[in-house]
Amino acid sequence: MYDTKYLFQRNEIWWVKVAVPRSLRDELGYDLRRSLHTRNLAEAREKRDRVVEELRQMIKESAAAESSGRACRESMVPDDENGFEILAREDFSDVTFLLEVDAPLMSKAAKPGQFVIVILHERGERIPLTIADFDADKGTISLVIQAVGKSTIEMQQRCRAGTHLHALVGPMGYPSELGAKKIVCVGGGLGVAPIFPQLRAFKESGAYVVGVVGFRSKELIFWEDKFEKYCDELIVCTDDGSVGLEGRVTLGLEMALKEHADVDRVIAIGPPIMMKACADTTLPYGVETIVSMNPIVVDGTGMCGGCRVSVGDEIKFACVDGPEFDAHKVNFDELMSRLGRYKDDESRALDDWKEMVS
Amino acid sequence: MAKKTIRTIPQKRAEMPVQDPVARAGNFEEVALGFSLEGALVESERCLVCPKPNCVPACPVNIDIPGFIVEISKKNYRGAYDILTESTLLPAICGRVCPQEDQCEGVCPVGETLEPVAIGRLERWIGDMAIANSWRNTPPIAPNGFKIGIVGSGPAGMACAADMAKAGCDVTVYEALHQAGGVLRYGIPEFRLPNEVLDAELENLKALGVKIECNVLVGRLFTIEQMLDELGFDAVFIGTGAGYPSFMGIQGESLNGVLSANELLTRCNLMGATQFPRYDTPLGLGKRVAVIGSGNTAMDALRVSLRADAEEVYCLYRRTRAESPARVEEVEHAEEEGVRFEWLTAPVEILADDNSNVRALRCQRMELGEPDDSGRRRPVPIEGSEYEFEVDTVVYAIGTNANPIIGQTSKIALNKWGYIEADDKLATSMAGVYAGGDIVTGAATVILAMGTGRQAARSMKSYLGIRDSSAVYQKPQENGEASIFGIDPTERAHVRVRVA
Ligand SMILES: Cc1cc2nc3c(=O)[nH]c(=O)nc-3n(C[C@H](O)[C@H](O)[C@H](O)COP(=O)(O)OP(=O)(O)OC[C@H]3O[C@@H](n4cnc5c(N)ncnc54)[C@H](O)[C@@H]3O)c2cc1C
Ligand code: SF4
Ligand code: FES
Repeated sequence: MYDTKYLFQRNEIWWVKVAVPRSLRDELGYDLRRSLHTRNLAEAREKRDRVVEELRQMIKESAAAESSGRACRESMVPDDENGFEILAREDFSDVTFLLEVDAPLMSKAAKPGQFVIVILHERGERIPLTIADFDADKGTISLVIQAVGKSTIEMQQRCRAGTHLHALVGPMGYPSELGAKKIVCVGGGLGVAPIFPQLRAFKESGAYVVGVVGFRSKELIFWEDKFEKYCDELIVCTDDGSVGLEGRVTLGLEMALKEHADVDRVIAIGPPIMMKACADTTLPYGVETIVSMNPIVVDGTGMCGGCRVSVGDEIKFACVDGPEFDAHKVNFDELMSRLGRYKDDESRALDDWKEMVS
Repeated sequence: MAKKTIRTIPQKRAEMPVQDPVARAGNFEEVALGFSLEGALVESERCLVCPKPNCVPACPVNIDIPGFIVEISKKNYRGAYDILTESTLLPAICGRVCPQEDQCEGVCPVGETLEPVAIGRLERWIGDMAIANSWRNTPPIAPNGFKIGIVGSGPAGMACAADMAKAGCDVTVYEALHQAGGVLRYGIPEFRLPNEVLDAELENLKALGVKIECNVLVGRLFTIEQMLDELGFDAVFIGTGAGYPSFMGIQGESLNGVLSANELLTRCNLMGATQFPRYDTPLGLGKRVAVIGSGNTAMDALRVSLRADAEEVYCLYRRTRAESPARVEEVEHAEEEGVRFEWLTAPVEILADDNSNVRALRCQRMELGEPDDSGRRRPVPIEGSEYEFEVDTVVYAIGTNANPIIGQTSKIALNKWGYIEADDKLATSMAGVYAGGDIVTGAATVILAMGTGRQAARSMKSYLGIRDSSAVYQKPQENGEASIFGIDPTERAHVRVRVA
């Protein structure tokens, strides 16, 4: 057996190769290599130890430099100029903001109910976001984002008109099925924006549309004009009663159902707890109710199964079989528990990151 | 040269250095380090250069195996590379991941008495040398005006793209993920196939003029029909793979801590989750991991789990080691690294703790009964053998189904399992649309996917009326004009050019 530890040959010349620890790879690559300028293995073995030692020293030094310089570099994963350009940003509140992204093909393909996956930068995660609006004439799509976790808070800090998203892929999932005659569209929290293209599509298809949107308070309301334009009736609910109905969207939903006995579909988008409450509200009325699932997503192409949800007795992959499902069959408790899978990791990431940028 | 016989060749296989098992279980660097020069030369001497070689027909792409090995022994490494690339697009990859023991090496007559010639390792050695020296066999390409769309950048798509580009077509590959390579990128971990190798092969593809567009979900951004009718593609190849992972349907599969091998591998290989929180994607692997299944995917999931700091990693398989579909070498490597195997064991339920996390598996011991249709002995549960097995993470690696997106969004005919229906020429039910790789064959191998990609390219060329130069390919004449990659320069005169 040859003793070739750390050695490899390249065009017959022996080289030394020392692995770089994972944390330094962005800087130093996978390994450090140096030629021993010999074709003779015995000679290479003799020279080896000294060179390995030198390379190790280099690694040690960069590790030291890295830990001190880490904070400033970390926060500066560069903007990906070949990415997808953000054309406009609008802030609705201190947590909610809108990005309008240049995506000509997608703006033509997108239909209500579909979502996209966004990656902020090279080291970012794949974030699913429901398409909040699309404009085929301008060639843009709009995303409304709530800054609640590390990635979305970082987006809030970094994304400006002129900056780029590293990746944007979609539209994903089945579009909503039109065809209802009288529909109640309920949006709460992060579901307010995504309900908009739905209600617009239903209105344009000739349906009678009742919109129910919920906010925490008056100051956080956005897109009132857009909603008014496409709703036959609009019920605004606020938690503090500063405008509209005081209370949750289920109150508005209940009101709409009582007033209109002929509602033939309800669509609810928002946090799972809200969608569950809506499902419970409509159950006694026997109205078909659709919710848009927002589980943890990785690829969004059906390849990983991380987005699986239980619908009736079946397991469905929300990204390709959904994202919309029959609210009366969805297992919301399971959805909520699965959404909590990375809670600890997420708060750790957020803390780490905040410390670094502060 | 005296004729070689089984007695005169080196009796033992040349050693290939591998990373020490203890060290490698803690890193993601490549396990098998490849031959040294001496090793490769010794190994090349072991080939008997059979006049009617068994290995060539056993290779799914019919590489001229003795041909390239002889060139190695003559130290004509570049020549060996040229022979390899007549048949395979990705020697450095196939040499690493092909199940050689079932293919070329499995039928090598040297293997009847000794260990067979290490064909895969030699192939890899040449492939690596090509990368290190930036060898590239780019034939002269005369554009013919045809526009070809390829859906999916796995080995099937890459192979079809390369052949069509060499024939002079304008080729665009669309990939849904943000990086190209298919399973080679998101599935097979770096310690088996380093990213740099895949990147180098993708660069070769780009050097042929192939455009690769990531972040494009075909079917949803535009459909196959639109590619033909609106986007101006003359023909389309679909190689979207068999992504959709299977679960067993037992109690507890929705608990936190249950995931598919694809999810685990994608998080690690594609998203950098082992470097969380430096990378944003978390992994969330526990300390005691059970992987269900014993194929290549299972081995990768097991070995990734070990490297991602799980303390104990178990492989549960309802048959025995002998029936395990994974490559022998992979099982051995996993074992050396500390994976523990529970053969003849099947889970029947996943048990939860109070927070809907996995607490344990309820398992059942099996024994082997009568052979089933596939000829493998069927596992039968042993009555009363159930027991609890404490784990906090359960990874499913029991197979995949067809990726459904193309089926959802086009009129292309599927078979009853959802795979795309294609004839032996790989033509689908839609004119001008061909398909290959796992989306046609079901989960198979890299080399088979590549083979179907090339077959589809041949069919596409005849559909478009492009003269198939590989069919009339002749060995390069001594000092004659090179006709590498199966394209004979004189043939180009016959290439049909699209009249706009
Ligand atoms: C973990 C693992 C380990 C393996 N190990 C081995 C091994 O050691 N040896 C071996 O020979 N084989 C191995 N295999 C099998 C081998 O990888 C596959 O058979 C092969 O990759 C199939 O190639 P493909 O081109 O058909 O599809 P894939 O490699 O699956 O590529 C399909 C690509 O298409 C993309 N795609 C899907 N839908 C769309 C769409 N609508 N629009 C655009 N893009 C789309 C996907 O994102 C993907 O990138 C392994 C498989 C796995 C999962
Ligand atoms: S491609 Fe695979 S089967 Fe063919 S020679 Fe290489 S290792 Fe053997
Ligand atoms: S996100 Fe991976 S399958 Fe849906």
